[in-house]
Formats: sequence, C-alpha cells, structure tokens
Amino acid sequence: MNQRTALYAEQLRLGGRMVDFHGWDLPVQFESILTEHLHCREAAVVFDTSHMGQLRIRARPSALARVTTQNAGALAVGRCQYGFLLNEAAGILDDTILMRLGDEDFLLVVNAAPAAGDFAWVRTHLSEGDVVLQSADGGWCKLDLQGPKSAQVLAPLTDAPLRSLGYYHVVQARVCGHPCIVSRTGYTGELGYEIICGAESVPTIYGELLASDLVTPAGLGARDSLRLEMGYPLYGDDIDAGTTPFEASLGGFIRFDHDFIGSAALRAAGEPQRRRVAFAAASRQKAWAGNEIEHNGHAVGRITTAAFSPSLQVSIAQGYVPADLATPGAELIVKTPRRDLPVAVAHRPLYKHGTCRTKEIRTT
Amino acid sequence: MSTIPPELLYTEDHEWIRVEGDVGTVGITDYAQHALGDITYVDLAQVGAEVAQGEEACAIESCKAASSVFAPVGGRIVEANAELADDPGRVNADCYGAGWLYKLAIASEAELSKLKTPADYEQIAAKD
Repeated sequence: MNQRTALYAEQLRLGGRMVDFHGWDLPVQFESILTEHLHCREAAVVFDTSHMGQLRIRARPSALARVTTQNAGALAVGRCQYGFLLNEAAGILDDTILMRLGDEDFLLVVNAAPAAGDFAWVRTHLSEGDVVLQSADGGWCKLDLQGPKSAQVLAPLTDAPLRSLGYYHVVQARVCGHPCIVSRTGYTGELGYEIICGAESVPTIYGELLASDLVTPAGLGARDSLRLEMGYPLYGDDIDAGTTPFEASLGGFIRFDHDFIGSAALRAAGEPQRRRVAFAAASRQKAWAGNEIEHNGHAVGRITTAAFSPSLQVSIAQGYVPADLATPGAELIVKTPRRDLPVAVAHRPLYKHGTCRTKEIRTT
Repeated sequence: MSTIPPELLYTEDHEWIRVEGDVGTVGITDYAQHALGDITYVDLAQVGAEVAQGEEACAIESCKAASSVFAPVGGRIVEANAELADDPGRVNADCYGAGWLYKLAIASEAELSKLKTPADYEQIAAKD
C-alpha cells in the first residue's frame, strides 16, 4: 500500500491520474502534461509536493555546517541555499535546500525517497542540537505554486511581504489565515513559492489557490519536463551517491569556506573524468533513460533522464559524458531502440525565459 | 466513456481501420490516445513498405511512453500522414479524423474477418 498525501482524494476528484513515485501515489497529470507545462510558463500552476521530506533542525550553525555543503553560519536568517548532503567520499546522498528560519532554527527540504536516510544521517552526524523529520505521514505538507503570475495569486491570501521577498528568501507567514513557511523557491525556473503547512491547513490553501482563474493543478509529468528545460537534476536518476557535485556539474554550489563531510574528498578529487550535461535534439523524437550515448562510434555514456520539451518543441535529456565532450555544441548520437538520435550538448538552462529571478513582483 | 465509431473495425491493440475499396486507413482509438496522454512524436510509417497483419507499421511517443502501432491487416503502405511530423497532437485531438496514421493497400480481404467489430471492441476497451 503506497503512501498518500492529504490531498490524494481531492486530486483524484480533480482528474489526477495517479502513479507510483517512490512509494507515493501522486498525480502524473490532470488534463494534459503539455498544457500544465505551458500554463506554468505563462500563468501559474500548483503542485502537491507533500511527499518531499523536511528536516527541522535546531542547532548551532557551526554544528550544522559540518553536515551540509551549505554554510549555515554564513546564511542570513530569512535566506535559503541549495546544496548537498555528501558522504565521506563526496558522493551525493541528497540535494537539498537549507532554509534559515532563526538563529538556531533551520529547515532542510529533501527529496522523498532519501528522506528517511537523510534524517538518520543528519541525526548521527550532528554533534549537538535536535532534528525532527517532518513528513506527510506526520501531518506536514508542501505546495509549490509556480509561474510568472504566482505573486498575483498568492498576494490576496497571505501576509507574507511578497514584493520584498527575493529569490531564495524565506519567511514565516500566514496563508489563508494558517501559519506557514513561505519560500521563494521552486523546481521550474519560474517565479514561485513553496508553502509548507500542516495537513489540517492544506485543503483550504490548495482550494483557495485553485480558486484563482490564473491557476491550474499540475502533476509530476509537467514538473519533470519543466525542471529538465532548466537543466536541474533529479535525485536518484541524474545524481546519486556514486556521483560527486563536480561530476554532476554542480560544483558552483560548493564553497570551501567551511569543513563538511565530504569536503576533504572533494578537495582531493581533482578534475572529474565525466560530467553531467544537458542535451537537445533537433527532432521531437525522445531519448530514454538508459540509452547509450555514442561519439565517433564509441560508447561514451548514458542518458539519465529525458523528456519532450513543450517550450522548445524538441526532445531534451540529461546524461553523463567524458569531460572533454561536456562542452556546449558537442555532437553526439543517442542509441534509442528505434534509431540513432543526433543530439548536441546544450547550455543550461535550455529554456532561457524563466522568471524565477525577476525583481518586478506584481501583486495585483 | 471513449468514442467507438460504428463504421470502423478494430484490433485488441487499440488500432482502428476504415476500409474503402482495397485501401485501409489506420489510426489509434480514442481509448488509446487518452491512455497514452499527450502525443509528442509520430515515427511515420514508411511508404512502400510491406507489412504483415500484426506487424509494427509505425510508432508513437507520448510524454509517458513509446508505443508500436501494428498493422490491422497485411498490405503495402501507400501513404503516411505527414501532417503529424510537426503536429502529432492531432492524434489526441481527432484520432478518427485528422489524426489518422497511414493508409495501406490491403493484401488479403480475408484478414479483415479476424478484426473486432465495434461491439467487440467496446468490451475490450471496457476491460482494459
């Protein structure tokens, strides 16, 4: 029996087609993946992301900074930072967003499948302080409101200062009268907010968001094609414990301004032999996870995730290639079961018009 | 409830065929297009190719999956719907009309008798 979020019945009622996602029953789509994707690029959509894990950590920043690549001490209260939990060999245990809610009050938002392992890992390695795993089976929920019109949708429902809430800022505020954590973060490349709330609040908030003419519900299918257009990795598929941040082309998020688990291995590692890259095809024909990538007739890597890009109208993908081929423009062949698909390594993001960093916040 | 036009014949694999003289026009059913979701690519049938009954004639990809489309009867492909190269969404929007996939010259009329009537297919689609 799979786990279900507090919105399972409501999403079924809205026409959600449920699939298994790491032990959770979640909607892959409602009306149409393409429509939901494009609606997120043009207006706003809401995803139920309650399956993701949340670690509420109350500890001194110096203690937490030993466990995460993010430097908790250098992160201002009210700010978020992307980073990793690494093992001693610098393999990625999870990619995370660290939110600093108070001097010694942090929220680490983690992926669904590794959440329990993350919790055990942090609890084991945190030298002091306290960690609580807030998950959907314990009554915690998360909604992702994403799209250029997100602020217009959310503003009438919240006392959060949306006009001054910058990219990767976080605030504790009320939404529909319920106490929530609201962060300007997301996984789509668009302006948007993640709303963390209790299960008792989520039906009201979800309903009020959907009451806006600007918002439609969206599922995992659109979430995947949106993040692929941005070149963001999917944990478990594009990155895992056998991958370092440098191999994953995520070295830009590493600062050696503090010692953390895995930092010694990262420093010693040198240049990676292989790198994660994004691909774009000239065709609509899709690559598939696991397909071999060839260069000059030699197998050089594999596709890790792929989708049709509704914004670009071509197929796109991610995978690993030797470092010398990990340059935009490099031409490669993906061996799909049907035929050879020519692709080129692409600059990330593939979709260049995302609004996530906009400074012009319209609330009316 | 999916649409099943009465004038067509069907396969268990959710293809339909419209027979006009010795030419059959082939597509996928409303049930199939709905199950597949947004169709993003059609690997068009090859004009001139000979296909046997039940053999793959072309393929379609949706956001979720890649699927073979089998020939309801054997024959030679005489036309592929080239409009689908740039607009495969026609298969979702109008699977029995503008979303047709290919036409074939039917080799053996006897094979038509192995196909499902609309009433038979309705039961298949209801069971799946």
